[in-house]
Amino acid sequence: MAPWMASGLIYSSGLALTAGSITLLYIVTRTFNFAVASMATFGFYIAYTGISLYGGLPYQYYPLVFIFGSFLGIVCYFGLNRHLLRRQAAEITLMMSTLGYDLLLLSFIQMYADFLTHTYGLFPRRVTLNVHDFELFGERAAAIILPIVTILLLTLLHFFLTRTRFGVAMRATIENPVLSGASGINSDLVYMVSWVIAGGMASVGGAFMAMAMTGTPTMGMFTIPLMFAGAILGGLTSLYGGILGGFMIGMTEYAGIFYLSQQLGPWVLGYRMGIPLMLMAATLLLFPRGLAGIPLAKLINSLVGKKRGESA
Amino acid sequence: MTNDNKSVKNQLDLKELFLKREVWVIFIILVLLTLLFNRSGVNILLTIFIDFAVFAIITMSLNLETGYTGIPQFGRVAAVIIGAFAVGAIPGRIIAMFMGLPYGAEYASDSVNFRLVPEINQLLASSWLISLGFLVFSLLIAAICGAGIGWLISRPAIRLKEGYLGISLLAFGDFFMWVGHNWKGMVGGSVPVSVPDPFRIFAGDRFMVIVLVIFVIAFLVFIYLQKLTRSPFGRSLRMIRDNDLSAGAAGKNIVSVRTQSLVIGSAIAALGGGLYVLYVGSMASIGFTKLTFTFWPWAFMMLGGIGSNLGVLLGVFLLTILRTMIVIFRSQWFGFLLTIGIDPLWLEFTLMGAVIIIVILFMPHGLVPEKVEPMLPKSRVKQIIERRQLARGESSTS
Amino acid sequence: MLEVNNLNSGYGKLQILYDLSIEAPGKGITVIVGPNGAGKTTLLSTVMGVAKYMSGDILFEDMPIQGKLTHELAKKGISYVPQMGNVFAELSVMDNLSMAGYLMPKEESKIKADQMTEIFPVLKKFIHRDAGTLSGGERRMLAIAMGLMKNPKLMLLDELSTDLAPIIAEKVMMEIARLRDELGITILMVEQMAKRALEIGDTAYLMVSGEIRYSGKASDLLHEPELCSMYLGIKTDSDQIADLTKPSIEGSD
Repeated sequence: MAPWMASGLIYSSGLALTAGSITLLYIVTRTFNFAVASMATFGFYIAYTGISLYGGLPYQYYPLVFIFGSFLGIVCYFGLNRHLLRRQAAEITLMMSTLGYDLLLLSFIQMYADFLTHTYGLFPRRVTLNVHDFELFGERAAAIILPIVTILLLTLLHFFLTRTRFGVAMRATIENPVLSGASGINSDLVYMVSWVIAGGMASVGGAFMAMAMTGTPTMGMFTIPLMFAGAILGGLTSLYGGILGGFMIGMTEYAGIFYLSQQLGPWVLGYRMGIPLMLMAATLLLFPRGLAGIPLAKLINSLVGKKRGESA
Repeated sequence: MTNDNKSVKNQLDLKELFLKREVWVIFIILVLLTLLFNRSGVNILLTIFIDFAVFAIITMSLNLETGYTGIPQFGRVAAVIIGAFAVGAIPGRIIAMFMGLPYGAEYASDSVNFRLVPEINQLLASSWLISLGFLVFSLLIAAICGAGIGWLISRPAIRLKEGYLGISLLAFGDFFMWVGHNWKGMVGGSVPVSVPDPFRIFAGDRFMVIVLVIFVIAFLVFIYLQKLTRSPFGRSLRMIRDNDLSAGAAGKNIVSVRTQSLVIGSAIAALGGGLYVLYVGSMASIGFTKLTFTFWPWAFMMLGGIGSNLGVLLGVFLLTILRTMIVIFRSQWFGFLLTIGIDPLWLEFTLMGAVIIIVILFMPHGLVPEKVEPMLPKSRVKQIIERRQLARGESSTS
Repeated sequence: MLEVNNLNSGYGKLQILYDLSIEAPGKGITVIVGPNGAGKTTLLSTVMGVAKYMSGDILFEDMPIQGKLTHELAKKGISYVPQMGNVFAELSVMDNLSMAGYLMPKEESKIKADQMTEIFPVLKKFIHRDAGTLSGGERRMLAIAMGLMKNPKLMLLDELSTDLAPIIAEKVMMEIARLRDELGITILMVEQMAKRALEIGDTAYLMVSGEIRYSGKASDLLHEPELCSMYLGIKTDSDQIADLTKPSIEGSD
């Protein structure tokens, strides 16, 4: 693997999960969740605390990270989101409320970092988690494990949403809340479960990303535009689109900056975040509905030279 | 809730209530100020006033875009940092050029810069005319650059809707923030660069004069925005905010009006950024984060009342005081945090987060809710009605 | 069965219904007719907890149900077939039916779904297709089947005959009458095919601008020539009904 590719895969897997988390919440509750930033950072700190205090590999703490993220999600739902959804608040109000929650979480993260420094003598403000990784097939294990875990999670989610009764009920509520309510589906429960899943995904995503970048209390705050960029690239209409979008954003950033820095010199590294943002701006301009909005069939047909209406 | 019910019943009651709330907030502000004054003297008041004035300018600009036009401006920091940039980079260079000093990329490197700026400062201190010219030019250039960036950002984003627009603005804001943090040749990137000081001429009274100047500018901005939002343009802004479809049907060019709002707002925000740099005396781009210059103004605005300039002023004032109080009383009030190694300064974040959440949940219209101004003043409407009634009376008797 | 007293409701700050009172007696069909924008749909959706309830009483089986959440009402045995968006377009027909039977145990819901496909054979043909690909008439069938899945005590039907071919609309009306006669279900329906609905209905209300203008026996309303021609577009010859075949033009909101 090229040097950028290993880090890129790790980073992109994390970004994919966080973008997926944003997308899931948006399609279920119309909420653009800012708090994904701090949920991700919290996820990283849970993994970091586990490793520093009890040792072991980062991977074994991921279930714990997921549970903690879910907890953060539930708190946000019952403390904030539920009341606003009942009030049928505007999209911007919903967005703003999660920003408030994010700032709260950020302050707790900073305090927690202080606490770790003081009580355990750790250095939690600049952390490289990947020193705890091991080698697998001559590569960093995370570069192989994390994409697989991401795909696994996605498959699980897919089965949940298509094969279980509650999963189908969730899809039904997303599509038509009124009718699903009239069918006896408790939309409160659906919203809560989506916060649980989204919170868990965001936290695990943060723990993933910390394997490729320096973990700091503000890492979520710095990467949140990229998470949103991933979600927007995915079109904000399907969970799979969001995950794919996040992955693409991460990979273009790593690949792009690698080639650009070879061409133009290392000074470009500071502007690395420009690449995914350009990608997002281009998406918004050309395909405002994201990847999902690209008329793929039409494009292929026009390439093959078929006219509309002609069958294949 | 009960307030709302009353207000429907009696228009007069409502007016009194608003008045009471404003008075109430001002009273709290005064009490807190006295408290601080007793404890730390006049300097702390001046610091609060400066912070208040700078953030008031920025928050009012945010209020124009978000409160009046309905653009979710999550990228306020972009315009602020551009204004700071312009003031940090351009006027100093021009003077350096006239003085025959280096003014290229090396102007911004810290080894050259720390020798250059004192020389420029000497020139500025020698003549009040040059100082004044420098100040005015700095602010102008900041506003122009801000307007430019506002226009640039508006191009791809302005047609987007609600959340999408907010996220794009957030992303653009971050992009310019990163450019600021990294572009060494302009104003030093992550290394702070000194900025020539047009207030040097006042020597010991510098601080006082700065407070006065920024205050006056903030006041002028307030007056300007007050006039603007009550003008026909202001009405079309609100019309677009409330219902862009019907505004479009009424013949308003939505894209152009929103762009204008974004450009004006960005220019004002850039002014705020420029003033802040002049006050601090150095341009450290690392200090311009979206936290301080996007999210905090949002918290200020939401507390004050979206779409109400007066409310925004009160919101900024109250929260600035509370922030300062956390800093001053940190060991006294939050000693228990210090014992487990936690710096009480993080409580500032907690405060902002809590303010946003509490405002959204319990008083969505903020301290001073937006008052919808009728097209004509009330007295005029009364006149018209009376005249009509008179005319009718006459016609019926004749 | 269902009693609405002095109901005020609307959407957000906009009030649409003012002091409205109606009653749907058990095991009968109550028809609400009226011109566009009369607030008929708002009435149904307020009963179902969708539109904003402001004040007044809504009694179901003599128990107050106002302010309850939609899914709680579904549990009480009220089934609601909205005018728009009455099927889950992105789910398959099978999933749609099983969602409609969400409150029952899985096996029971399966049995019930099989019964539905027997009543509406067209659904059986498309059982694995997404509901969004069905034609307008087939969707209506599915919507009714979904409403019936729940073993309801009370069905709220909102403009069932919209975008149906006249023959199918007629069939649907017959079906509704059969529901009352054979299963003893109480039905409250809003209908734009006013004439046909009034023929099968027991009680009728004429609603105009959020107010009731007529209440009484359904068949009697057809003999009120003024009301009929003014609000329902039904032509009457003083007391004899003419032009039976022509469906009404006005009616939906």
